[in-house]
Amino acid sequence: MARKLFWMCAAAGCALALWAIPASAHHSFGAEYDANQPITVTGVVTKIEWTNPHSFIYLDVTDKSGKVANWKFEGYGPGVLYRNGWKKDVSMKPGDHITIFGWRARDGTNWAHSREITLADGKKMMFGPPAGTGDGGNTPAVDVR
Amino acid sequence: MMRVLSFLLTIALVCSATVAFAQTKSTVPRGPDAKPDLTGVWQGGSTIRGSWDEANGGLGVGGSGRNPNTPTILSSNDRPAGREAAPYQEWAAKKVMESFNKRGIDDPTAFCLPGGIPRAVMLGLYPQKIVQTPKEIVILYEYMNVFRIIPLNAKHPEDLLPSYLGDSVGHWEGDTLVVDVTGFNDKTWLAGTGTFHSEDLHITERYTRVDKDQINYEVTMVDPKVFTKPWTLHSTIMLREGTRLQEYICAENNIDPARYEELLKQGIKISR
Repeated sequence: MARKLFWMCAAAGCALALWAIPASAHHSFGAEYDANQPITVTGVVTKIEWTNPHSFIYLDVTDKSGKVANWKFEGYGPGVLYRNGWKKDVSMKPGDHITIFGWRARDGTNWAHSREITLADGKKMMFGPPAGTGDGGNTPAVDVR
Repeated sequence: MMRVLSFLLTIALVCSATVAFAQTKSTVPRGPDAKPDLTGVWQGGSTIRGSWDEANGGLGVGGSGRNPNTPTILSSNDRPAGREAAPYQEWAAKKVMESFNKRGIDDPTAFCLPGGIPRAVMLGLYPQKIVQTPKEIVILYEYMNVFRIIPLNAKHPEDLLPSYLGDSVGHWEGDTLVVDVTGFNDKTWLAGTGTFHSEDLHITERYTRVDKDQINYEVTMVDPKVFTKPWTLHSTIMLREGTRLQEYICAENNIDPARYEELLKQGIKISR
C-alpha cells in the first residue's frame, strides 16, 4: 500500500511539474474570450495576419441555410508559431478548407481565440494557447484575505 | 582467440566507463577563465531537457500542449503551484487582487511594454539568449526584443535613470553568477498578475549552471515600499540547442487595449 501511495505521489509530482511550466501571455485571453464557450467551426481561410503580438486567421463559415459569415480567430505571434512547426504561406493559405477549435469572444461576435487547427490534409496543429491564458490563473500571487 | 576477445572487451568497457566518468565531470561548459559558460539559447520556466521540440511537444508551450481542452494553464501571469504567496503589505495585496479580479487587463505587456525582471527570465513561451565574455554578459530576450548588459565586477553608475529592466552588474561567487539589479521604474510586473513594485525595487539573481542542460535560477526581490519581507523565487532555465531567437515587434498589430476598452464600454463582464 505504502509503495502504491509512493508511486501515486510520484506521478502526481510529475504532473505538477508539467503543470508548472509557465507559458506566457502577451495579454489576457481570459478577459477577451470565454473559456466556457468552446467552439469548433469549419470554413475557408480568407486571410491570415502573421503579426505580433498575435496572429489572426479569417475564415468564411457557411451555415446550414447557405449564409456565409466571416470569423476572426486570434493566435500566437509568428515566432511562437514558427517554433510550433508552422511555416508562413506554406502550412496554411487563403483558400484552404480548415477546422478551428477555440473559445468565443465574450461579446458574442464572430470572433474567437484559436487553439487547435485541423488543416486541409487532416494534420492537427496548435495555433493559440489554452483557454484562460494570461488572466492570472486560478490562484492570485497573494493570499486572499 | 577467446582470450583476445575478452581482453578487447575489457579494454572497451574500461574506455567507455572512463568516457562516461569524464562526461559527468565536465558537463558544465567553461570559458577561458574557467568559469561556467552560460552562452546559449535558453528557455525559462521549464524543467524538461532536450530541444525546443522535444521539451514542448512542438504543439505549444504550457499545460500538456497536446490537449486543446486544457481549461487553464499557467502563464507568466500565474502563480505556480506550491509557490508561497508574494509578501505584499496589506494595501499592496489589495492592489494585486484588483488586477487579478480584472483578469490582468492592466498588464503592462498588453501595452507592449517589457515584461521586466524576473518575469522575462522565467517565462517559457519565448527563448532568451545569453552571450558570455570574461568581462560582461549580455542577455537577449525575444519577448519584447529587449536586452540586458551585465558588466562583471563593476559598480552601478551613480546617475541611473529609472528603467524597465534596471541596471545590472554581476560577479562570480564560485560557479554561481550573481547579478545585482537596481534602478528600476515602477512599470513592470514581477511574477504573476498584478505583482507591481516601486522604484525602490532591488533584485539579486543567482544563475548556477548545474550541468550542460540546466541553470538553477534564484531571484530575491526587495522592496520595502510594497513588501513586508524579501520575496525569493526558484526556477530552472533549460538549454535549447538549435533554437534561434526570432524578432518580436509588439507594436505591429496590438489591438488588445482597444479591445478591452470596447468590451468594457459595451458593459460586457470580463472581471471575475
